[in-house]
Amino acid sequence: MVSKQEVLGKKPLHILEKIRENLEKLNEKMEVMIELQKHGRKDIQPLPEAPLDVMTLLSMPDHLRKTAMIVCRLGRATAEEVAQQTRRARAVESAYLNQLVIMGHLKKERKGRKAYFYVDRESQG
Amino acid sequence: MIILGKIIAVHSYKGGTGKTLLSVNLAATFVKHGKKVCLLDLDFRAPSLSTVLKIEKAEYWLNDYLNGTCEIDKVLIDLSGRIQNKGQLFVGLANPATEAMREMSAKDRKWEMRALGRLLALRNSLLNDRGFDYLIFDTSPGLQYSSINAVVSADLVIVATTLDRSDVDGTKRMLHELYDLFEKKTDIILNKFLHDVSSKSGKEEMQTKIKDIYQVPLLGIIPCFCEVLKGEGNIIFAQERPEHPFAKILDEIADKIDNNKT
Repeated sequence: MVSKQEVLGKKPLHILEKIRENLEKLNEKMEVMIELQKHGRKDIQPLPEAPLDVMTLLSMPDHLRKTAMIVCRLGRATAEEVAQQTRRARAVESAYLNQLVIMGHLKKERKGRKAYFYVDRESQG
Repeated sequence: MIILGKIIAVHSYKGGTGKTLLSVNLAATFVKHGKKVCLLDLDFRAPSLSTVLKIEKAEYWLNDYLNGTCEIDKVLIDLSGRIQNKGQLFVGLANPATEAMREMSAKDRKWEMRALGRLLALRNSLLNDRGFDYLIFDTSPGLQYSSINAVVSADLVIVATTLDRSDVDGTKRMLHELYDLFEKKTDIILNKFLHDVSSKSGKEEMQTKIKDIYQVPLLGIIPCFCEVLKGEGNIIFAQERPEHPFAKILDEIADKIDNNKT
């Protein structure tokens, strides 16, 4: 049987988890906005799907290519996993990954608190 | 699981530098050294492995694997029975039919992206699950989709080059504008070399010159052997003439790759 104290103890923890989750989402959005501002882009609407083929990889700026190559190789990755490979900060990778999503090269999927980035090779069209 | 195998793409700027001959003989050399090797023909514009290896017909081609219509196991042909060594050799062929070549040259970007995914998946299916020591990709020359897909999927790019002026210039550009951008480990093989490198000093002088030109490690210098040309692509020297200097140089190259000493 669960005591009343335990239930009460869990509630603030749950609220804190929620706050943290929302702060992370907010942080990601801000990183995207900063990144877009840096590159002089005003719109934040994702571009139509753009295949991440090797010629596209070749024409990308170096900093984005490095990130995109890791996702290509891993198939599916979080910003943390990409950062481990590139040895750049997680927040930096998060910004680059989100920029690649906006450019239409990657897809993003949330699972709980984690955001996964992947190359959508299966969609038709 | 730690994957110990390695993917090697054999590429060049120009055609006729000896990529296929090097790929086949390098594969045969690794097999001679007891390795389990898979040689894949990614030159869909001018497939040649089926001719070189005298394989009349294949049930499935690499074209089918990249199209997503079959798995890689269906494509691979086991040639281990043909060789006397303890290693194993499998090959995957590109379809040499004109219709297949035409079809492959008309693929769009989305298809090429999927093809890259299927090439990258070979690391798991062949190196990891089936325990191959080496996958060797024989590619088309220059900036072709299939070749760049191979380069991106590889751990090591071997660039076959000659001292032809336009080949030297083009290879230098490719080193900086292609392989460097993908951060690929790239080594050079100088093939069809016409000058004498039999003396130790002559060889060292040439090695220094090549390293200065390309600024990447040199895997080996292969002189232009008349016997190799006379073989008209019918002889796999690494297997049939193991004492020939060409086979000996390939032994050294394979050892360097094996020991990662370039």
